[in-house]
Amino acid sequence: MTVVISLAVLVFLVVAAVWPDLIAPGDPLAIHPLDAFQPPSAQHLFGTDESGRDIFTRVIHGTRASLLIGVTATAIGIGLGLIFGLLAGLGPRWLDFGTTRLLEVMFAFPGLLLALLFIVIYGPGIVTSTIAVGLSTAPGYARLIRSQTLQVRDAPYLEAALVLGRGSVFRLTRHLLPNVAGTLFVIATLGVGQSIVWASALSYLGLGAVPPSPEWGAMLSAGRTYITSFWWMTFFPGLFIVLSAAAATLLGRGLQQRKRSS
Amino acid sequence: MALAATAAATALLLAACTTGPSGTSASSTAAPVTGGTLVYATGDAEPTCLDPHVGGNYPQALVATQYLEELVSRDKSGAIIPWLATAWKESSDGLTWDFTLKPGVTFTDGTPFDAAAVAANVAHIQNPATGSSTGYLALSKVTSVEAVDALTARFTLSTPDSALLDSLTQPWLAMESPTALARSQADNCESPVGTGPFIVKQWNKQQSISLVRNDNYTSPPADASHTGPAYLDAIDWRFLPDSASRYAALQAGTVDVIDNAQPDTIIQAQKNPALSYLNAPRPGASNRIELNSSIAPFTDPNVREAFIRSADVNDAVSSLFFGTATRSYSPLSSAEPLAYSEASDFTYNQAAAAQLLDAAGWTSRTSDGYREKDGHELELTFPVSTNQSIPAEQSLFEQIQSTAKQAGFKIDLQPMDLSSWYAALGTNSYNLVDAPYTKVGPDVLRILFDSAGTVPAPSGYFANHSQVKSPTLDALLEQAATASDETQRASLYQQAQKLVLDGYYILPLYDQQNGYLQQSVVHGLRAMPTVSTPSLYDAWVQR
Repeated sequence: MTVVISLAVLVFLVVAAVWPDLIAPGDPLAIHPLDAFQPPSAQHLFGTDESGRDIFTRVIHGTRASLLIGVTATAIGIGLGLIFGLLAGLGPRWLDFGTTRLLEVMFAFPGLLLALLFIVIYGPGIVTSTIAVGLSTAPGYARLIRSQTLQVRDAPYLEAALVLGRGSVFRLTRHLLPNVAGTLFVIATLGVGQSIVWASALSYLGLGAVPPSPEWGAMLSAGRTYITSFWWMTFFPGLFIVLSAAAATLLGRGLQQRKRSS
Repeated sequence: MALAATAAATALLLAACTTGPSGTSASSTAAPVTGGTLVYATGDAEPTCLDPHVGGNYPQALVATQYLEELVSRDKSGAIIPWLATAWKESSDGLTWDFTLKPGVTFTDGTPFDAAAVAANVAHIQNPATGSSTGYLALSKVTSVEAVDALTARFTLSTPDSALLDSLTQPWLAMESPTALARSQADNCESPVGTGPFIVKQWNKQQSISLVRNDNYTSPPADASHTGPAYLDAIDWRFLPDSASRYAALQAGTVDVIDNAQPDTIIQAQKNPALSYLNAPRPGASNRIELNSSIAPFTDPNVREAFIRSADVNDAVSSLFFGTATRSYSPLSSAEPLAYSEASDFTYNQAAAAQLLDAAGWTSRTSDGYREKDGHELELTFPVSTNQSIPAEQSLFEQIQSTAKQAGFKIDLQPMDLSSWYAALGTNSYNLVDAPYTKVGPDVLRILFDSAGTVPAPSGYFANHSQVKSPTLDALLEQAATASDETQRASLYQQAQKLVLDGYYILPLYDQQNGYLQQSVVHGLRAMPTVSTPSLYDAWVQR
């Protein structure tokens, strides 16, 4: 049941990300100063912000940025994780030792701190914050992939492939990756949720999206100042961050359980 | 109709609850209570040095008002009144000023306050090693100060300075103990020593400054409500940069007074009997966006005018500030009697903006709708110091960005901290900037618009951000500064302001906002009639 609901929410978000005008045809940047701070109504479903912009339109149009950051950051994290994980899992012992130590050092830093460090060096913005989030999630993926690789490496069918004289590329793509892929897919779904939260956190701190772009974290940050007077300015962007992260996480969990029981 | 009625009701409410500029708050008939600690939470940036001679910005002035004092002050009508100096006399040629000092005053480290101390302070401000900008610029006409006798200090000037007394009322020219000034700058920044009602006890960086009462205090300004030591035992001066948490702390009762109150919280607080509001716009310059006329595209006056015509400020001000701010059309604050306004220069008119840009050769448009010329986009860089502007102001800039886009301007808003912002100004890589400048009197025009203002002060800061270099304007400002006749002076300053406005160098927004919110149990808090900093000397708390 939760999987179905999560899927429905995600499908909605994907539609909002790809065809935002289908759901909210307005311009997310259009200002109407004299309509500022309007509470939710039939005309403005989620109310308006300090510049009279329609919050519903902004939240819907902000989906693309948030999902894109979430997916791209996860892809970067998994890509790097694959490289390091496979190197460690398949390479000679010294390479495994070196990579594992490096990963342990990176683990010593809390993920968000690593991301902040990266942004301090390369400057704020959507691109840097995406890379930063991707980088800081990579060690986790790498460790997971390494352990999966180690499990499969000595399996009889791989030995058989070796004896049959199959090349290393064949063994990797045909036997190793399909074995790792299932776990990876589940972890990635969970990861997208986390990446969305992190990217929003960075924008909230003023290190991600730049004003006036309709990014959820940035909207949350702008609304925070008015939280005592106009709750809807923070509630709705916050709701969408929670919804997307929860949907991705619950879907990931659901897939995980299904995989275990099958 | 309903909206109009609400607006009228809000205006009435404001009129009823707002005390006048530089007024004292919640007057009470009860006798003042001695003792207690007052918690003050400031939203301004934390100073890097507590000695306002060094650099010289508003955050320093805010806290320095509690422990440092000036030679003279100003009353609510704008007249100069005695403080550490009891009398003063200008020579007939205007080139020497004799100040008679208050006898029996000592600094809190025991050093006596005398004419030699005054000379040491002026020397400290003028010493390039100090790195002063505000004080340094204000004293640019003073060539030397000598001690005629222990209680008479003689200022010698290069040219007459009609603004000298106004300048001397400011915290950036406060008197500090010469013994303390002789220490290293690092030590003096940590714990400056003055004659004020409170003493700097400890500075916990990023957190708070603790101030304790000066029990031997004898030197209040002539307009203070009482004499002798302050009522409060101590002040806990906290740094709380986040405006929402600052207001929440005030509501929860963990702090007694906050500054830089957000417009929406001011409206809310006025409905709450436990809180009260003190409105004290800062003197000197109005809050304005300056257009850098030294680099393209603003070297062309048509493009400057086009930008100004394309910026819809009025709607933004009325919606974002809930009636707590009034639109300005002047380079000077409405607190300045000599402020001159020219509303017609700033009418919002997209058609006029489009015509001006066409005339200036910015005819083609990119696919995003921005104008271009010779392959360059009509792009404007706008660094915004998040420490110096409240969120409502940053929203205002976003709205200007949006309306200017219709005309084809691409504005890059770049929020940054104070030190990055200073760096952006230093490299002349900005087209637009909003920089507050507070100074008593119209002499601020000389600092902001004289071509000499494009040359950095010892601190590295230059104040003429629009980079106006007009010999006519320089001459007018020079004449105004030396004019002894008040009507002539007023007329010269008016002409100077007209030149600035008609040249489209600035887009005036409103007075520099300066709202204090306080618990109603706090009495006697007042904003100094000089630069509107809060004075806690007369304050007491009824718990």
